[in-house]
Amino acid sequence: MSENGLGRAAPLIYTLTGLIVLFLLLPLIFPIVLSISDTPFITFPPKGFTLQWYGKVLQDADFTSSFGFSVLLSTTAACGAVLLGTPTAVGLVRLSFPGKGFIQALVLSPLIFPSLVTGIALLRLFSSIGSNDAFLNLWIGHVLVTTPYVVRTVSASLVVVDPGLEEAARTLGAGRFTAFWRITRPQIMPGLVAGALFAFVTSFDNYAVSMWLFDASHVPLPMMMLSLISRMFDPGIAAIASLMIFFSLFMVLLLERLAGLRRAMSF
Amino acid sequence: MFFIAVFVIPVGLMVRYSFLQQLPDGTLTGNFTLANYIRLGAVDLYRNVVVTTLRISLFTTLGAMLLAYPLALVIARGPAMIGRAITVLVIAPLLVNVVVRAYGWRIILGNGNSGVLNWALSYLGLGPVEILYTEWAVIIGSMQVFLPMMVLPLAAAIGRIDPAVEDAARTLGGSSLAVFRRVTLPLSVPGLGVGCTLVFSLTASSFILPALLGGSFTKMLGTLVEEQILTVFDWPFGAAIATAMVLIVMAINLAYMALIERRFRSRAMEAA
Repeated sequence: MSENGLGRAAPLIYTLTGLIVLFLLLPLIFPIVLSISDTPFITFPPKGFTLQWYGKVLQDADFTSSFGFSVLLSTTAACGAVLLGTPTAVGLVRLSFPGKGFIQALVLSPLIFPSLVTGIALLRLFSSIGSNDAFLNLWIGHVLVTTPYVVRTVSASLVVVDPGLEEAARTLGAGRFTAFWRITRPQIMPGLVAGALFAFVTSFDNYAVSMWLFDASHVPLPMMMLSLISRMFDPGIAAIASLMIFFSLFMVLLLERLAGLRRAMSF
Repeated sequence: MFFIAVFVIPVGLMVRYSFLQQLPDGTLTGNFTLANYIRLGAVDLYRNVVVTTLRISLFTTLGAMLLAYPLALVIARGPAMIGRAITVLVIAPLLVNVVVRAYGWRIILGNGNSGVLNWALSYLGLGPVEILYTEWAVIIGSMQVFLPMMVLPLAAAIGRIDPAVEDAARTLGGSSLAVFRRVTLPLSVPGLGVGCTLVFSLTASSFILPALLGGSFTKMLGTLVEEQILTVFDWPFGAAIATAMVLIVMAINLAYMALIERRFRSRAMEAA
């Protein structure tokens, strides 16, 4: 009975798994169900069918400007994380130097350090040095919390690359940068793509750092959503939630196609 | 030399970063004082927040532990196609914004007749329940949000167990339950430890979930620190709460490491 590896308990385990997956998907299903309700307020079960809330939301200046701002912030933060994280990963994997373990722990520490507190520390720093540029402040915060993901995924793909290949290219006359760019970079591309996409998603969803650093003219989407929940009661809010769910599912598919989800999660 | 050069930037940033985190520890007013920490521990209102945070995190961790095993078993031991599908289904919600997921739970758990759950209950002829704005709402929401963090390391740990060990136990007459309890469970403890540490830390330091699901009745450290800094502007006290949060997270991580170390040492003693 061990051909499926689960033994005789398999049917029970599959049933439980189905129920638990349902539990995981519940809060994603209901906003979509409610967003098509043809009523002026949120109600369950939904009555009628309409897509007017999507039309209304897509014309809502608050939502579109905030969405645009989040895309801009997350794209630039992901670029920053890749530019900062890739050399760090190369250094950590390829070089040995005193204090390497310490540096590694430091670079990865924003992963376990509560990002709520990271945000507070940054706010404290920015206000004491008088940095009032909300975009720059948010960007620095987001690069800080997304870089570890890039370091982790790039390191993971770097350890399986044979350094001898790059050395061979160097022996044949390639410069250090050319050797890295032409030989090593193509080999770590999956890790790089996974890291960049994951950095983008993490930044796009981030509220714990953003909530301390945003101002009225720089509002990332999660903060906009949070304020809309408390002052918007028509199904438009459910439509916004649904749009964000669709956007995330699109990112999931992109990650799975380009890099493999489990690799991106580094488990 | 190239690598050393490009290292200066990240190291410089990280050194500055480590310096940033020293800042919340006071030095604002100039005088060293423990008054803020004493206030957090001595005033009932604030001590309750600490206790609530710990209780919610504990229940969330225990609940996630129970729910994670079936999923992890299927991912690690089930047919490859199904395992892959479950992995995607487990990770997909993780990439959906926490605000959106908390909102989804608000719709489901809504008090009165508007909530999905109460609608379903009244359909079955059961009375309405008031879950939203209680600790249970926060626990249910946190369990859903952080469950993937338990499933993934657990699946990785179970995947590393040699299936032959389980087969051997089964051949020797062990029932499925006995094999799980005596073989799979003990061997998956490292993954379980990582998962528990992650779920506990993340729950204890969350803000959105208690804010949207706990309301003003169920406060956690995350909502308290936000209120103190952004509404009351009490920076030193806010910083003290933030530091307490870090200490809780660090304590749980250190406890896990100590546990692993002790297991490792007792193994080594057995071997010797």
